[in-house]
Amino acid sequence: MTPAAGLGLKPQHYDDALAATAPGLWFEVHPENYMSAGGPRLDALAAVRARHPLSLHGVGLSLAADADPDPEHLTALRLLVDRFEPFVVSEHLAWSTHRGAHQPDLLPFPRTHAALARIADNIGRMQDALGRTVLIENPSLYLPLTGHDLDETDFLAALVARTGCGLLVDVNNVFVSASNLGYSAQAYLDALPAAAIGEIHLAGHGPDEGGSGLLIDTHGAPVAETVWSLYRRLIDRVGPRPTLIERDDDIPAFAVLMAERDRAQALIAAWEPVYV
Amino acid sequence: MSDLLDFQDAFVAALGGAPSALTPWLPSRQAGEAGLAVYRNTIAKGCVDALAANFPTVRDMVGEDWFRAAAALFAREALPTSAALLDYGADFPAWLDRFPPAADLPYLAAVAHLDRLWTETLFAAEAASLSPQAFAGLPPAALAQARVALHPSARFARFEAGVPSLWSAARAGQAELELSETPEGLLLMRSAGRVTHRVVGLAEIAFLTACRAGQPLARAIGLAAEADDGADLQSLFAALIADGVFSGLKSGTL
Repeated sequence: MTPAAGLGLKPQHYDDALAATAPGLWFEVHPENYMSAGGPRLDALAAVRARHPLSLHGVGLSLAADADPDPEHLTALRLLVDRFEPFVVSEHLAWSTHRGAHQPDLLPFPRTHAALARIADNIGRMQDALGRTVLIENPSLYLPLTGHDLDETDFLAALVARTGCGLLVDVNNVFVSASNLGYSAQAYLDALPAAAIGEIHLAGHGPDEGGSGLLIDTHGAPVAETVWSLYRRLIDRVGPRPTLIERDDDIPAFAVLMAERDRAQALIAAWEPVYV
Repeated sequence: MSDLLDFQDAFVAALGGAPSALTPWLPSRQAGEAGLAVYRNTIAKGCVDALAANFPTVRDMVGEDWFRAAAALFAREALPTSAALLDYGADFPAWLDRFPPAADLPYLAAVAHLDRLWTETLFAAEAASLSPQAFAGLPPAALAQARVALHPSARFARFEAGVPSLWSAARAGQAELELSETPEGLLLMRSAGRVTHRVVGLAEIAFLTACRAGQPLARAIGLAAEADDGADLQSLFAALIADGVFSGLKSGTL
């Protein structure tokens, strides 16, 4: 499939998504929102899927927990994969479950060699359960943790080498984390292994209303111009990839999101290989 | 215990108000405060937004601020046990019942219970409902001994006061809400992708309870008559069939 730009699918936009005819348009959902025995939400997703490619982007498998992935969660995910035949399945380099409780967030951890082994094992379990490879997304970070053995880009590259997974590069997360922890977003993106990148996310961020100076990955605003610039440079280097506009809060009209999506689509369409 | 689990225990302790637990993984104790607040807020917002989506009638009755404050307290005591937040809050009605600030709204826990049943109905498994013809084909004696399976989406509950009417009026957007003292039941069903509900009498509730417990129809009808000797049992049964409440019929031995 030629790479194209897609949109996060929100329930208030089901009818718009059904009617949309933009070439290449695809949609992405969080599978956790569809893990029910039945009901109209699944019917709506099936109707959208009948017309557009779909990506399943997990937020709750907790691959960086020091525990096996929840077998019930994997079973529910497999059911959705089998039913909706997504062109890509992804998860986060983060944890959320801890001793039976689920914290609905993507939490950080020290990138030690032991953590690498544990997470590689968990990704392997996920891929075995689904019978396919998955993409792993870089998180937004807010804490200056110490005790890392590896940089995040090396950690991600090691996961790729060990498990055969690909990468979902969230350019906004790179920008937010680099700003919060004081490193170069550009150098981070340049260090990622190009061949492993299977999808790119673009989203908006905002300042911490608590006045801490941190940037928050809110998904509640348009994509920032600095993030568009980083995105253009990334695809100049690695080539076009399926690219998603994510919006989960303060959701505007479908046409407003489509305008952002069309901007990404235009950049993808305009891409030409650079021969040096 | 692994280093990763040590860290995660410390992180959860720090989220819960013991920030010094995380000091071994930070350049200084203060260095983590702003970041921890971000994680704390995101987790609380995730839980509260999920509860607000799952308990809209409670939220409408108490207002946004009261609801979010109560939901945040509940979430601190009872985090989700699954990443599928559409199922979050099964214990919220019972928690509200014990929540001291809700004491002057004694029907609030019951309203929350009905919101919860609505969500269960919405996400229940699919099944075809039996048509009236499925019952019309059976001779009366066979029908009396038959047992029915309720549709996976069927939910019902009875109350010692008119909470079902109150809840229905609130769901319909009515501003003036009154609680009658008449005991009532509510029946919820999903049909063609939509949740429908209607206020029912104690006879219907007795009948459905008996059906769910696997009693033969004759026994269920008998219990319905005991619950309300004025009930029109034939109409009651026909109306439930029309609701689509039954998805299976097993003939008894004659």
